[in-house]
Amino acid sequence: MTGRALVKQAFQLRKAERIPWVPFVGVHGARLIGATATAYLQSADLLFQGVSKAIELYQPDGIPVVFDLQMEAEILGCKLAWSDHNPPAVVSHPLLEGKTLADMQIPDKNAGRIKLTLEATRRLRNAHPDVALYGLITGPFTLALHLLGTDIFMKMLEDPDSMTALLQFTNEVGKHMASYYIEAGCDIVAVVDPMTSQIDPMSFETFVTPCATGLFEHIRQQGALSSFFVCGHAQQNIEAMCGCKPDNISIDENIPLDYVKEVALKNDLSFGGNIKLTVVMLMGTPNDVQENALECMDMGGNKGFILAPGCDMPMDTPIENVKAVTGLVHDPYRQEVVRAMEKEQSKLDLLNLKDYGQTDRVVVDVITLDSESCAPCQYMVEAVKKVTPHFEGLVEWREHAIKKLEAVTFMSSLMVKNIPTICIDGKIAFVSQIPPRQELIAAIQKRINEKLKLKLKSKKGELFIFGKTAEECQDLIANVKRATAELGQQMEIKMITDPHQLAIFGITETPAAILAEYKVKSTGTNPSVEIIKEWVKNVY
Amino acid sequence: MEELYGKIAHCVEFGKINLASPYPPDMKGQEGADELTKKAIDEGFPPEEVLKKGLVVGMEKIGVKFRENKVFVPQVLMSAKAMSTAMEHLRPFFESGAVKRKGIFVIGTVAGDLHDIGKNLVSMMVKGSGFEVVDLGTDVNGQQFIEAIKQHPGCYVGLSALLTTTMVNMEKIVAEIKAAVPDTKILIGGAPVSEEFKEKIHADFYSRDPQGAVDFLNRSVA
Repeated sequence: MTGRALVKQAFQLRKAERIPWVPFVGVHGARLIGATATAYLQSADLLFQGVSKAIELYQPDGIPVVFDLQMEAEILGCKLAWSDHNPPAVVSHPLLEGKTLADMQIPDKNAGRIKLTLEATRRLRNAHPDVALYGLITGPFTLALHLLGTDIFMKMLEDPDSMTALLQFTNEVGKHMASYYIEAGCDIVAVVDPMTSQIDPMSFETFVTPCATGLFEHIRQQGALSSFFVCGHAQQNIEAMCGCKPDNISIDENIPLDYVKEVALKNDLSFGGNIKLTVVMLMGTPNDVQENALECMDMGGNKGFILAPGCDMPMDTPIENVKAVTGLVHDPYRQEVVRAMEKEQSKLDLLNLKDYGQTDRVVVDVITLDSESCAPCQYMVEAVKKVTPHFEGLVEWREHAIKKLEAVTFMSSLMVKNIPTICIDGKIAFVSQIPPRQELIAAIQKRINEKLKLKLKSKKGELFIFGKTAEECQDLIANVKRATAELGQQMEIKMITDPHQLAIFGITETPAAILAEYKVKSTGTNPSVEIIKEWVKNVY
Repeated sequence: MEELYGKIAHCVEFGKINLASPYPPDMKGQEGADELTKKAIDEGFPPEEVLKKGLVVGMEKIGVKFRENKVFVPQVLMSAKAMSTAMEHLRPFFESGAVKRKGIFVIGTVAGDLHDIGKNLVSMMVKGSGFEVVDLGTDVNGQQFIEAIKQHPGCYVGLSALLTTTMVNMEKIVAEIKAAVPDTKILIGGAPVSEEFKEKIHADFYSRDPQGAVDFLNRSVA
């Protein structure tokens, strides 16, 4: 199934095989192709290149053509301050500067930057038939605020009639913009109205609902899907937003996803958002991003949920962080790994594995999700299984499937981050990639050689000679002394003639000899029970 | 006397600016914060008490309602307008030094961000609580903040951002200010900002609403 179909499926509340992923690439697209935000938003070529690059890098299921809530305002007479790192900002409000609503006209499709944006839309449609395209329009309330400035808030209270007239106009602009985008090939029209977060539900229903409801109906009649975007603390208005009957509600991290899910599904609407934009996507690591994205995916579920950042991604969002979401969305194994790690890691008491791997045998640990359900894990386990006979009992291997808590503890204690991973005597040896047979053998052999050297250096022993009398032991003791002397070694010899001791050791015929080997197993630490068990197993 | 203070506070809380103002509908035709404050001053009430027992009380009440999501920006703006209209009658006493300010608060929207609703709200509420507010406007960079801080030693600083794309500039500005004037206390706020973000960028205080900033400042100067 194409990404475009996946997005539509989610919008229609049908159960999806995979949660669709829609990165809100705005001026971040400029960064991907080394352009400034200023140049980017004023060139169909650059927009096309930037979004195409984002599609190549992030494999999204849907993507906006452009994220710029100033396009309509500029045409209607607002002055813009351009910035190379951000979208432009509105700096003047024509209705405060002597213009009236009667002076304003609905922008046609060749006005201002609409023309180049539509051109970019058409080219993207042709080049990427499998990706859902979002056309973003400025919501009626936000556009009204651009035109009138913050006086709009007081106008609502002091002069409600003129407020209604203004919103009817900005909504009409929105309907035209929606039609332009749909005609150029957008699948979804997103009405972005962040400023509604500043008003109460009653004002929302009084002023915004009547026009927005008409706008969404207009989009539906054109055969396209619609989304209502809001950012900021707008929780109070989610119910009212649903009441405007869009197909989808999209929110940011200021609103809990579980709340939006509940309200949206109750209203038979799809919903989306909520990867944290700055603390996670911009400032976090790819691991942080995957944890946060997975949290959203697990909460959102595979019916009606669209995974997306909360809002427009900052220009300098690290590419690796966005790709981390892609990696997660397309890889169910990765999801399970992140899920297992996330669930267990917080409550783990890490083992002290400093002395792990001090047994005679070399231990090869394969850390997997579960070799039965994860193909890469299965191949890695098989690779290890195949080479161990080569070492004739010297090598022992084990699988640690991290679906179990002990395995997660073990994995974290060895500082293993990826699945699958091979550790040799507690040291990470191969990560993710399955090693060729010869490399694996060489790595194990290297460890055997190291151990052999250590063994020769550290071994000490004691020889107990048992006899009924001291005389009976003398010949044997003489031979032991001669043998050690010839080897240039020293060995402690103890003679035992106490019949009681003989009985304890189960010796019935004398003379007899028992060799005790001493080996340093750990120093300066308290090895865990798990480790000591390994030592004990080695003896019995 | 107390009754008049109560009426002034009520006008501020409900955004009743003056006699002519149509809002709120149930106070139509009544005197507003403007007339009542003038009356108090004319009758010789101590200006400091008019501020403390009248205006500040009203602003605080609306601030708490805003925090509790009982009212939103429009209502707060009406209150602030009532407040600032009334403040005009107190201005001479501030200028003569008869009434002392609690402290100085320097505020601005960070570089790249030209949105000023949030900043203006905080600015008005802090002013309404008896602080002197130095408003640097929008699109303010680190250097401009530092200059203002040096002009007003011991001031508190507020940074606002409305866009996810510009809030990152906060981190840079906080670092610059802390490097230049290490003891400066910096408050941050704005729709995309959070407590977690505050920790990350080493600012001193985050509030999700203006009243939180007012409370923090009042605690700090107490």
